[in-house]
Amino acid sequence: MTEKRKPFLLDLLRIVTVIIVALLLGFLITVMVSEEPVAAFESLLTGPFPKISMGEAGLQLKGINRFGNWLEDSITLILVGLAVAVVFRAQQFSLGAEGQIYIGALAAGIVSLFISAPLAIHIGLALIAAALAGFIWGWVPGVLKAYVNADEIVSTLMLNVIAIQIYRLLLTQWLRNPDAGYIATEFFPETAVLPIIIPGTRVTIALILTVAAIIGTWFLMMRTPLGYELRVVGDNLKFAEYGGVNTKRTIALSMAISGALAGLAGAHLSMGLLKQLTLNISLGIGFEGIVVALLARNDPKAVPLAGLFYGYLRTGAQIMERSSDVTREVVLIIQAIIIILITAERMLPLLQEWWKKRRHSPDELIAEAQEAADVV
Amino acid sequence: MSFETVISSIFTLAFIATVIRISTPLILPALGGLFSELAGVINIALEGLMLAAAFFGVVIGTFSPQWFPGLPFWVHPWLGALAGILVAMLLAWIIAFFHLELGADIILTALAINILAQGGTVFIMFALTGDKGSTSTLASPAIPNVVIPFVNNVPGLGTLLNAENLTGYNIMTYAAIIFTVLVWIMLYRTPIGAHLRAVGENPAAAASVGINVKRVQYMALLLSGFFSALGGINLSMGYLTIFQANMTAGRGFIALAAVFLGNKNPIGTVIAAIIFGAATALGAQMGTLNVPNQYIEMIPPFVTIAALVIYNLRRRAQIAASARKFQEKMQTEQEVV
Repeated sequence: MTEKRKPFLLDLLRIVTVIIVALLLGFLITVMVSEEPVAAFESLLTGPFPKISMGEAGLQLKGINRFGNWLEDSITLILVGLAVAVVFRAQQFSLGAEGQIYIGALAAGIVSLFISAPLAIHIGLALIAAALAGFIWGWVPGVLKAYVNADEIVSTLMLNVIAIQIYRLLLTQWLRNPDAGYIATEFFPETAVLPIIIPGTRVTIALILTVAAIIGTWFLMMRTPLGYELRVVGDNLKFAEYGGVNTKRTIALSMAISGALAGLAGAHLSMGLLKQLTLNISLGIGFEGIVVALLARNDPKAVPLAGLFYGYLRTGAQIMERSSDVTREVVLIIQAIIIILITAERMLPLLQEWWKKRRHSPDELIAEAQEAADVV
Repeated sequence: MSFETVISSIFTLAFIATVIRISTPLILPALGGLFSELAGVINIALEGLMLAAAFFGVVIGTFSPQWFPGLPFWVHPWLGALAGILVAMLLAWIIAFFHLELGADIILTALAINILAQGGTVFIMFALTGDKGSTSTLASPAIPNVVIPFVNNVPGLGTLLNAENLTGYNIMTYAAIIFTVLVWIMLYRTPIGAHLRAVGENPAAAASVGINVKRVQYMALLLSGFFSALGGINLSMGYLTIFQANMTAGRGFIALAAVFLGNKNPIGTVIAAIIFGAATALGAQMGTLNVPNQYIEMIPPFVTIAALVIYNLRRRAQIAASARKFQEKMQTEQEVV
């Protein structure tokens, strides 16, 4: 997590290399279990992209829904990735995005179901509720960390459990639609469903909101006093304290802002994709945001690219699972490899050293010297 | 069922037996988490290590009779258990290697191991059985229960010492009891335990007196793998004899919480794990009362956060108190002069 200013290109090269190595390892694993590993990997890597074909009716787009799946998954990943990037940048190890997603979805769901208002206002209220709920759910462990020094890893993991249980409690006891065959609320009224902007998909105005969130987070981090303080706290806590930064407030706020972004991801899941609350609204996507933030080196500008990449991989994996004998869990394996390789900071220098040593091992040096001597 | 019957059912030997059974797969990984936490290398991958061990125990235990047909029948489950332990320790070693040698962040590496275990077990399970949910098509063996002889004839005592249906507790329950004692002795009565605690307290100071910090941390992480594995094996080869996707269901995180709730000492950790186990057992009882079990599920995380806050407040008070004492002492010394 310690970030040193490295040349941008070198960083990019490193990340691309990590991705390629992880994909290659993923392929090797696939070869071991699959009868058609090449076809499986082809659908993983090309599946989400719409196929353009020249038909009799002119230019035709096939697979627009897959393309939509990719975008809608990426929206979630980008929002969660931003959330994680903000806390990680402040060197706070909040793992609470998962719980904040649930709480955000719950708040959005309650506002959607129990308040009636015209379209724009209803959506606005529900989104604010989701962001606010996430903000509070992130602020609590932030305050505990800042003022009581309670380990944020443990507290956020615990708050995840509490959030999911509160969500399930309210859903099963109060919000549940008894007529539905499964545990879920009624569908939200139309005024609380995010309008679709790409026909034939479930890509809603959440896409525009996400772009706004990216710009907003970037602006907050790079162009406001709070963002500056947040970065200083992340770079050097002691220095920030001596420099007069209110570090406690900054730490608490970094986790709260992160929570608000994760809460919005929850709103996207409930108001955009499902249009209702179901028992398992997120199956660990809060943790997937971590790989996105890591790939983006906690830089809000780079989060969309990382989110789109990882969303592509996840969507491709689903297509692969349907069309081959390989399960989509192969992407989890690839993800784990990416995280491990990307965080191994000393790996590159060590490899360089090893390479140098190999090329100039004592034996070789002696041999070279002897050769030189022979020539003379 | 009325409230009274639930209350009275709690004060029965059968309930105690249930708590013991449920606590076993919490106590074992908690002991593992204690080692890594004390050595200053927090391990949030207990969950993944348990899951991997649970899976490989079942798989190797199932295929062992085909691979080694000459061996006596009782050996195969133990080969499975051994494989589970080795896999979990290998994964723990990966965390240690990437953190200690390659400078990788230990939280993120452990998180990756959790993801790897979660994805990898389902991936291999599907490749082997064509099923993503469980290994129900594999006839996997169990590691044995231990039945204490003679006590079954004494009413009550049999229930307490050999569980509700008098078939004994799984051998891992006894492992949990024995290892609790051994861990305590190791931490507080041996040099290696002192080294381990010193490393966690202040690595630089420990290194300055000649302790090999890296080696101690390797050992702590490997031990956390070992103990998590015992917990995982208990789940898939004792409690049940099947592997289900994500069957650890957060136990690794609860075990980690027990370490914090237990004030980072073995006795406290085990008591905390038993409290969490009792809460779960209570939840099962309350379910019959139409009390939503979500309330019960919230108890362990709430208690843990409360404990975390109290622990830190107490620690702060202690530091403040000793600082005050020091100042007073200095003052009296000055007055004497």
